[in-house]
Amino acid sequence: MRILSLNNVTKTFGGLVAVAGVSCGVDRGAVVGLIGPNGAGKTTVFNMITGSTRPDDGHIFFAGHSIRGLRPHRIVALGIARTFQTIRLFPGLSVLENVLSGCHCRMRSGLVSSLLRLPGQRREERLVIERAMAELEFVGLAGLWRSTAGSLAYGDQRRLEIARALATEPRLLILDEPAGGMNEQETQELAALVGSIRDRDVTIMLIEHDMGFVMPVCDQLLVMENGILIAQGTPQEIQNNPKVVEAYLGLDEDA
Amino acid sequence: MTAGPGNGNGGGGGIWGTCLTGVGVLAFAFLPSILFSLSRNSAPYWLDVLNTVGLYTILALSLNVILGHAGMFHMGHAAFFAIGAYATAILNTSFGWSIMATMPVAALAAGLVAAVVAWPIIHLRGDYLLIVTIGIVEIVRIAITNDIFGLTGGSNGMYGISRPSFFGFTLIKPEHFFYFIWLTVGLTVLLFHWLENSRFGRALKFIKEDTVAAESMGVNTTRYKLMAFVIGAAWAGLAGTIFASRMKTISPESFTFSESVLLFTIVILGGKGSQRGVLLGSFLVMGLPEFFRGFQDKRILVFGAALVVMMIFRPQGLLPSKPSRYRLPGTLSERYGGQEAGDKPPPLPGGDGPGPVA
Ligand SMILES: Nc1ncnc2c1ncn2[C@@H]1O[C@H](COP(=O)(O)OP(=O)(O)O)[C@@H](O)[C@H]1O
Ligand SMILES: [Mg+2]
Repeated sequence: MRILSLNNVTKTFGGLVAVAGVSCGVDRGAVVGLIGPNGAGKTTVFNMITGSTRPDDGHIFFAGHSIRGLRPHRIVALGIARTFQTIRLFPGLSVLENVLSGCHCRMRSGLVSSLLRLPGQRREERLVIERAMAELEFVGLAGLWRSTAGSLAYGDQRRLEIARALATEPRLLILDEPAGGMNEQETQELAALVGSIRDRDVTIMLIEHDMGFVMPVCDQLLVMENGILIAQGTPQEIQNNPKVVEAYLGLDEDA
Repeated sequence: MTAGPGNGNGGGGGIWGTCLTGVGVLAFAFLPSILFSLSRNSAPYWLDVLNTVGLYTILALSLNVILGHAGMFHMGHAAFFAIGAYATAILNTSFGWSIMATMPVAALAAGLVAAVVAWPIIHLRGDYLLIVTIGIVEIVRIAITNDIFGLTGGSNGMYGISRPSFFGFTLIKPEHFFYFIWLTVGLTVLLFHWLENSRFGRALKFIKEDTVAAESMGVNTTRYKLMAFVIGAAWAGLAGTIFASRMKTISPESFTFSESVLLFTIVILGGKGSQRGVLLGSFLVMGLPEFFRGFQDKRILVFGAALVVMMIFRPQGLLPSKPSRYRLPGTLSERYGGQEAGDKPPPLPGGDGPGPVA
């Protein structure tokens, strides 16, 4: 079953065509990798799915909803969460509060119950802290709940971003270069984490350059170059696709 | 409180802070008697000073929600104060409403105007927002000076406003207003403290830290900014009711741009987002000049200079806001430590803990 489909999605910045008529689909429960050289338009595709950037043309459907042009918070509420290529935590706030930001959209307390600290509001606060701690335990950061997010090691900040995104209870999780800046061991742990996220019935889309990470983790790969989707298929098929080898994977051989 | 945010801004922190705050509040409650026993003649004067400080504390606390918590640069707060005061004056003098009955309407009127004017500008960046909010206070002042709808009395203002009364007891003397105003300050502190440490307050905090990230995590940033603006404005309207009934006479001069600047100064000087800071700021800006009579008319100059010095050496304000404290419930608390203990990192489980940012 398709959970996400892109239909002829296009985005230009000034004269530059960043994404040129990309059409593709993502099956529920899959781990889909989006690969391609720098500047290919991968992040722009993610930004259009999450509502940060408005497509010039085309349609995006998620779980039966047309989400093109919706504001990001609406798309999060529908079940798409993301992390950023350059880490974008709330660095001055605690690790716990960062995860609570993800919980926000699944909470109900409004202005009046907050202003008057009504019993329902207090109960919800208690539950949401447990919920946030569960996500921190899931990514292995629970012991650091009161640290300031900005003081965490780089790899921990990446995992905190994932915990924060998971706290929104997504059906589709979008990771933009999650292994960026991670060492060998952290990257391996990340691969295991991606596996256990999928076991929670969360569909995953990720951008990553490290082929050692991408190949075993992903079921499907999408390859972009210069804003165009040049290939899609299983990692096996992509590895043997001459167009891809030439455009992207072949770079190593030339060097 | 069993779980959730603790008494974040309780005082100096810990049990001693709480005790100290308690003693302070108790001493404050006896202040009128103390002042009268010191000097019968000058006590009313000093109570009036304290009442002014209290009123500005309420106003500055309401501005703090907008400026401190949501981080929106709003320098037109006197506009909403004015709308509240005039709503009360009009309903009381022309329609015979009792003062306390006008209070919710004053708050509502200020909140409604805030919603309408903020709607198109709420997304503006700090510096642009600042300029537009200055425009708002000027528009309101000009409107009431020109006797809008023939209701506001023009530049002469409005007089003959009644005193508030509760169950047949009418507040007349400064000591009556002292309790009325400072109890309202207490209520404001409590409600806004709760608001700060809730889903709502956290949303504002995320917006202040990084609006784009907040939106991407599911916070409806425009809605929350707008709500913060409306709440702050409505509370300023409520303060307007107190002001009108205390003065009995109001005129456009009380609601000028410099009034807005004064409120802005209180919040920045005391510490954006910190209720203790705002309280201190009100005493410094509104109370201190009374001790130096000659210095009164140079007030703006002196506080302008103080702000410049502050921005260089202590930009977070005199009593900056402290991080919210959370308590983990039951078993989680046993596993990972209960109450947040200062800035010290917790004992690390595996050895790979917080390190320098790569
Ligand atoms: N906000 C923007 N304004 C202008 N140009 C942009 C913007 N975002 C991306 N681009 C351009 O679009 C192209 C694709 O960028 P991006 O999607 O970030 O590539 P990738 O993630 O594949 O490295 C690049 O040439 C980039 O410079
Ligand atoms: Mg990118």
